[in-house]
Parts: sequence; structure tokens; C-alpha cells
Amino acid sequence: MAYHFTPNLLPLFVAAALAGMLALYTWRNRKTVGATAFSIMMFILFEWGLSYILELAGTNFETKLFWNIVKFIGVVATPVAWLIFALEYTGRRAWINTQRLILLSILPLITIGIILTNDLHSLFWSSQRLAAGGGFLLLQTENGPWFWVHAGYTYILIMTGLVLIVWALLHWPAQYRGQMIWILLATLTPLIANAITIFRLLPILIDLTPYAFTVTGVGMAFALFRHRLLDIAPLARDIVIDGMKDGMIVLNANRRIVDINLAAQTILGLSKEDQPIGKSMAEVIRTQPKFIARYRNVEEANDEITLGEGEAQRWYELNLTSLRDEHKLIIGQVVTIRDITQRKRAEILLQENEARFRQIVENANDLIYRVDMEGKISYANPSVLRVLGYEEKDVLGRHYLALAAPELRHKIKRTYEHQLVSKTPTTYQEFPAIATDGREIWFGQNVQLIYEGDQVVGFQALARDITAIKQAQDSLRLARDQALEASRTKSQLISKVSHELRTPLGGILGFAELLRDHTFGELNAGQRKATLSVIESANYLTNMVNELLDEAQLSANTATLQEGPFSPTILLQQASSGMEVLAGKKGLKFTTGIDENLPQELIGDERRLRQIMINLVGNAIKFTQEGSVSIRLSHATNEYWSIQVTDTGAGIPREAQEYIFEPFRQVNSAITRDNRGIGLGLSITKQLVDLMGGKINLESKPNKGSTFTILLPINRDAGGKL
Amino acid sequence: MTRPLAIIIEDDPHLNEIMTLTLEADFEINSCADGTSGWHRLSEVTPHIIVLDLNLPGMPGREILKKVRGDERFQTTKVILTTADERQAETLTDVADIVLLKPVSPTQLRELALRLKPI
Repeated sequence: MAYHFTPNLLPLFVAAALAGMLALYTWRNRKTVGATAFSIMMFILFEWGLSYILELAGTNFETKLFWNIVKFIGVVATPVAWLIFALEYTGRRAWINTQRLILLSILPLITIGIILTNDLHSLFWSSQRLAAGGGFLLLQTENGPWFWVHAGYTYILIMTGLVLIVWALLHWPAQYRGQMIWILLATLTPLIANAITIFRLLPILIDLTPYAFTVTGVGMAFALFRHRLLDIAPLARDIVIDGMKDGMIVLNANRRIVDINLAAQTILGLSKEDQPIGKSMAEVIRTQPKFIARYRNVEEANDEITLGEGEAQRWYELNLTSLRDEHKLIIGQVVTIRDITQRKRAEILLQENEARFRQIVENANDLIYRVDMEGKISYANPSVLRVLGYEEKDVLGRHYLALAAPELRHKIKRTYEHQLVSKTPTTYQEFPAIATDGREIWFGQNVQLIYEGDQVVGFQALARDITAIKQAQDSLRLARDQALEASRTKSQLISKVSHELRTPLGGILGFAELLRDHTFGELNAGQRKATLSVIESANYLTNMVNELLDEAQLSANTATLQEGPFSPTILLQQASSGMEVLAGKKGLKFTTGIDENLPQELIGDERRLRQIMINLVGNAIKFTQEGSVSIRLSHATNEYWSIQVTDTGAGIPREAQEYIFEPFRQVNSAITRDNRGIGLGLSITKQLVDLMGGKINLESKPNKGSTFTILLPINRDAGGKL
Repeated sequence: MTRPLAIIIEDDPHLNEIMTLTLEADFEINSCADGTSGWHRLSEVTPHIIVLDLNLPGMPGREILKKVRGDERFQTTKVILTTADERQAETLTDVADIVLLKPVSPTQLRELALRLKPI
């Protein structure tokens, strides 16, 4: 092979070199979106340009034929590479897959096959010969039918790529237009040159296409260096800007939308398919007239706006900034819209909570106020004003001690000074405050320290108007004193009365007995009967006086027990000796019993126990007409011994069992002339048993009889457990 | 054999009379109507029984009781205390030999006094 390189090949060298360098440069940066396809395309152009140079420089027919075939590898590959580049560049990378690549490559591969076998069928070139023209020795070819298939396919792919890029050019933001125009220029030039060559539109023989590659190389280089073609490819912009959560709109000086991201479209309620770019902002937000008016002539803004209604309402922070050129003229505006709904809802919730608590405080009956570190009132709720009769302006800023009774101010102050020093979280104090009309209003006041961080910044007081309670307490104390006094007086009165009754009773009973015993001589039948009546009445009266006195002492809580060791056996004997006689008189059987297990000695008030026994047995005898009465002392449990009195009397009706232990209460139907009394016996018994730490229990069935059981603690210390 | 001496100190004349009538069959009776004369009499004689009212004009019964109990001369003297005050009675059961709550039954008084009378 022989070559002859002439200077007129220089432009082709430049074009090829540029393509080669771009291929290399972009290959190194192939991680950038679209760079790989671009690099491959540039490499193919480089191959095309280089093999064309060699074809032109070839000095014989065979050399030229060889390089022409090599050149065509680039020629058929270029449109495929172009289309792939266009697809990637316009964000359609997903469209490209192996299957489609193979499909796209079928025709070019067939073309290569046909070219290689052209000598057999001349389908691609019908004839090839050498011709001189433009200072070159050229390979003159006549195109066969397959050439036109190849050409058609080439133009289809190139046109498709062009449409994609032009389409993108019209819809992409202005900042990408510069580089795309360069890319278009770089692409269209060889296309036009190629068309001129193929269709012989100009009377020149040389193929202009590779020369046009010079323009392509320069254009691409310019796009690359001037417009940083592959630094921020449009796709990267999509990822960054459309990936933003905040809405972003770029407006030009005429308020037309130059760029808008997905978030902004969503916020404005535009679908993905809507193409607001190029439209005026006013048109896009025509459904929101208030915003049109608001931002008509605004150059800077930072607002909170709401969009939507009710549940769907959302809050946004809108920031509008004007972009200015070096002459301070507005060349556009950037609007960012940040969704602050969540923050806003939290704020609203906080406000609602605050309002709710405020309402509670404001409507509280309790008096709530705050005092700063100087002791000045910084807040007082309406109750404070209402109770003390102040206007709010009279209270705010005033020293809290001014509200308190003057004589107590010193003490109150000391309490809170101490609280502050000792950091006591809460104190309670009662003191009288002075109302505007001079009345004393008692405050029952809880005070807490208010902290900001670990610094005390004031006091929070929660007070209650306890004037009524105080007054009630006073009157209660008075009433209690009076009641105690009355009780003492009553007790003294009864004591005095009974004392004064006992002495003359002694006279009556004494003389009557002396009469009965014939101390003053024999009595006739009438005198004797009268004397016995006197004795009976005197005894009844004595009994009554005793009971009244007991009841008075017990109810005034002045009765005391004289406790000591005693023998239950002796006690039972003493209590029952007189009873046996009484029962005998009525024809009743009277039995006593004592539990073997009962201790020989117990602790208790012997006299009172005897009184209880006599009372119960006496009652049993009184109210039993026939049958028997029995008393039994037992060791009831580990802790209690018992006195049990059983009779076969009429029984106590159920309803009467409820009140039988109350003073002056009797079962009326059971009262006769013979068993009358003032109804204090069981009441006294019950109270004495209570005093002893015991328990009285009644079981009774009408017409069957009654059983009173008294449980008393064996160990007096264990008493009161019942 | 002379009858044992009983001193009755009781300010109520009726009760004093009743007690005297009750006990005079079995005892030599000295009766006094107030505490002071009672104590005066006691300084002269050593009775076998003293029937002493607690609530007395002049020297109170409680004081007489205290003096009697503090005097060796009355070592064998029995004291029957009578009172209309139940609570007072309760506090003196240990000091007196017998405490009787008024009204005192003559029958009971005689029985008790006889029980205390030397055989």
C-alpha cells in the first residue's frame, strides 16, 4: 500500500483528532450519564475520519478500496451510536436493552456483509473507479440498490435521534439549550454534508461528510467545555432537582416558568404530564387568585401559605428570591415551596393544648398566680381577681405580699425565702389575704418553684379560698368546746343529781326497812304492805339512778374501767347468787356453767362484768314466763372468753334486734308492769363491752328464746381486734 | 361483855339515825354529824368499826380515812365507807374494808357490820 499525504488533508486530521480526543476524554468520565454512548459515537467517528484520510491518501486503487471498506464500518455504526446517545441523553436509557441493540444492529451487519461480498453481486456498489477532483485522487462509486437501503436506514435512525433531541430542547429548561444547540449543530452538519454528497447536490466529487466532522468535533468540544456537557447532564439535573422534597420553580423576567421540579408540580396540583414550562406563572396558578394578587409585583417574599381545604389542607413555606444580573436587573425568580404541614399541625396542636390549659386555669375556681423573682405578680387568673375584688391592672406587677394581711407578711415572706434557698419543690401555707373591701380571705396556698433549666425564675401559686372552711373550723371548734362543756356539765349534773337523789333515797329505804323489821314496833297488815311498797319503789328508783349515771358516764366517755385479776368462778357465784332467788320466785329453772378450759384467773373490771352478767340474767328472768334461764362462761377461742346467757322466753323480734342496744329502746309489746325499766340496761351493757374491747351478739327466735353471747379478750392487750 | 364500839360519822341526820338504829343492837354507838367532830372523837377512842361518810362538812371523809389508815392505833379498826358518788367509791375500795354506795340498806349494813364484829 502506498500513501501520499497532502496539506489539504489537514482539516480531516483535525476533525479525526478532535473526535479521538473527545472519545478518550469522555471514556475516562464514562460514569457520567450518557458519556459512554457519546464516547463510543466519537470513537466511531474517529474511525470513520481516520479511514477516510487513509482512503484519500492512498495512491492506488486497491488501497483506496480497502480503506473505503474499513471506513464503512464507521459509516454503518454511526447512526446506531447516535440513536443510542440521543436516547440516553434525553433520559430514555431504560429503553435500551440487549435485544433492541441487536435488532438495531441487524441491518448494519448485513450491510457490512454485503460490502465485503460486493465483488460477487455488486448490490452495494455497482461500479468503483478512480477519478480526480478537488486536488485529490478519488474513488468514484456508483451506488447499488442495497446502498439505498443502508442510506434510508441511516437517515431514519439519525432523524429519530434528532427528533428526540429537538423535543427535549423544546421542553428542557433554558440552561440546557446552549449545549443542545451545539450538539444539534454538530450532528446536523455531517448529515447535511452527507446528503449533499450522496444526492450529488453540489458539483463536487469529494465526500463532504468527514469534513463536516470537523464541525462536529468542534461543536461537541464546545458543548463539552463551554456548557460542561457531561458534568451535569440533564438527567442528573432531573435526579437532583426532581428528587428534592421541596418544590422549586424558576421564573424568567416575564414570570414565565423556566424550570419546575416534580415536587412543585405536585404541590400545585399539576400532573406529571402537564408541561408548565414556558407558561406564565399566573396561568398555572389561575385557580389560586389570591396568590396571583399577592405575588404580582413582589421581588422577595417569605410566607406561610395554605393550599387545599379541610382535612386535605396543607401548609407551605414559600420563599421567593429574585435573581439579578450584574446591573441589578431582575433576570428571573426562584420560588421554593417547603411543605411545613407537619410542623404546622404540631404548632396548632400546641396552641390548642395551650388554649385548653389556659382555659382550665382561667376557669378554675382555685386561685392561680405567678410571681417573678422580685416578688411581683406576673399572672393572676380571674379567680384571684374575683375573690379579692381586684382589676387585673391592680394586681399585675404588684408585690404579692401587698395582698396578704400586714401582720403576717413577714412570716409569709420567710416561708418563701426558705423555699427558694432550700429548693423545696412545694410548700403549703394558710394565711389571710385582704380583699379590696377589707375582708379577710383565707388562702390555703401551694407554692411551687418555676424552673427554666436549673434556674429558678419565679413562683407558681395555687391557692384555694378556705375562708368558709376556716370559719367552719372555728365554729366547729367552738361547737366542739361547747359540746364538750355541755357534756361535762351534763355529766356533772347527772352526777350531782344522782348524788342528791341517793341521800334521800337512803332515808326512804332505810326507814322503810327499819319499819319492816319492826324497829319501831309491830305493823298491822296494811302498814306492812305499804312499807314493802315503799321499799320496792325505793329499790326501783335506786336502780334507775344507777343506770342513768352509768349511761351518762358512758355516753360522755368519762367511764373508766378498774381492771385487775379476778376469778371467773367467784364472779359467776357472786353474780348469780341473787339471780337464783329471782328466778325461783318466777318458777324458772336457773343454771350456771363454767368451762373447764377457762383460765382460773382473768383480767378485767370485776364490778362491771358483774353488772353485765346481772343485767343480762336479770333481763332474761324478767322476760321469761316459763322454762329456764342459764349463764355459762366459756373459753371461746384462743383469744376470747365468753359470757353466754340463754333463756326460753318470748324472743326478740328481728326488727327489734336492730335497736335493742340503743339507749331507752325497749320491745314495747314485752313490757309489763312487773318488768318495767327505763331501757338502759342493754345499752349500758353494749357500751361496757365495747369499752372492754369485746363484742356482743344476739341470737333470738320468737317463742323459742334468746341467747346473748359476749366475747371478751383474754389478753386485754389483744383487745380491739374484733 | 361490853359491846364493841362503832363510830358513825354521817352528816345527814336521817341516815345517821337509820345507821344508829340499825347497829345499836350489836354495837355501842358514837355518832358524829361532821368530819371535824368525828376526827375529834376518834382521837379519844379506838372503835372497832367506823361507818364513814365520804362527803362531810368539816374534815372530809377521805382525809379521816387517810389519817385512820396512817395511825397504828387503828390497826384493827374496820372502816365501812358510805358514799353517793359511785366513782369515788371505786377509787377507795382498796383503802376501806367495805365501800357501800348509797342508798344503804339497813339490812345489808347490819349483815356486813356483824361480819366485821370480833367474835
